Amino acid sequence: MAQEESGQTSLEITCQEVVQWASAYLDEHVGDERKRHIVLHLAICAGCEAYVKQIATVRDVVGLLPKAVEQPLDSDRLRQAFAARERRSSPAGRRV
Amino acid sequence: MNVATTTYTESGGHPSALESVSLSIGTVLTYAEQQLITRLRKGEERAFDELVTKHHGALIRMAMGHVANREVAEEVVQDTWMAVIEGLDRFEGRSSLRTWIFGIMIHKAKDRGVREKRHTTFSAFESFNDDTEEAVDPSRFHQSGEWAGHWALPPQPWDDQTPEKLLASQQAVNAMNRAIEALPPTLKDVLILRDVEGVEAKEVCEILKITETNLYVRLHRARERVRQAVETYLGGC
Ligand SMILES: [Zn+2]
Repeated sequence: MAQEESGQTSLEITCQEVVQWASAYLDEHVGDERKRHIVLHLAICAGCEAYVKQIATVRDVVGLLPKAVEQPLDSDRLRQAFAARERRSSPAGRRV
Repeated sequence: MNVATTTYTESGGHPSALESVSLSIGTVLTYAEQQLITRLRKGEERAFDELVTKHHGALIRMAMGHVANREVAEEVVQDTWMAVIEGLDRFEGRSSLRTWIFGIMIHKAKDRGVREKRHTTFSAFESFNDDTEEAVDPSRFHQSGEWAGHWALPPQPWDDQTPEKLLASQQAVNAMNRAIEALPPTLKDVLILRDVEGVEAKEVCEILKITETNLYVRLHRARERVRQAVETYLGGC
């Protein structure tokens, strides 16, 4: 925790603010000034350091969770529609 | 800008994607995407299967956040694929293929969700306010005095809890999955796109039509809820 004397630049930002910016910070999505404050804060605040690490772990682990294999409701109908597409397709309109 | 209808030159040489696909000049598509679209427009069924396999799971998961149940979600996604097939020739590549597909699904899912809202009682429709909800319980911080805004109850380091270790525990995996499924759709959409599917922030914003500031607010709240689930799980070990 930040138990040094106050008035340091590193405490220009509170733990609550560091927490709030954690995800943007991890994605390199904060401005230079804010980033500097966060880096300095993290250097002296064990609580925030732990918190930001945990969010990074969550970010990484969520992408690795096993995914259920999903199949469309009616694959055959989709394949047929896809195969039929060519016959129907005319010199098409533009725009999506 | 006409459609590639005459591309049965076939095997051997790679057809130049640019040659056979009609895309707008300012296309944002990567070369790989352009090639995929060429194959799709040629009617290559394997290309379509690949596309479906790649995105179907995430589409279902996201759709489920917006509609009453799995059955409806499957219908929504089926309709989405039909719309993709229908629209393939009109797709100009102003967004990525993925952005386009997910955009169609979200539009259909929201539409369906609104119509069904009355009949549902589950968490997806819990009231959620972007402006007022704190990501982390404010009582974990000092409320006043010299240390206002600083941790009163700091998180305990997870030490050796690497992603690999967490994944090795079925209990932890279940806890995280439950936390993700329970997210309101606004949060679930960003977490699935950004962290599960690994879509770049800018593209997530395009798909969901939100600002980057909004994206990070939502993404962080979503991650925080999953973090809390892990914290609870570890506390009970
Ligand atoms: Zn702190």
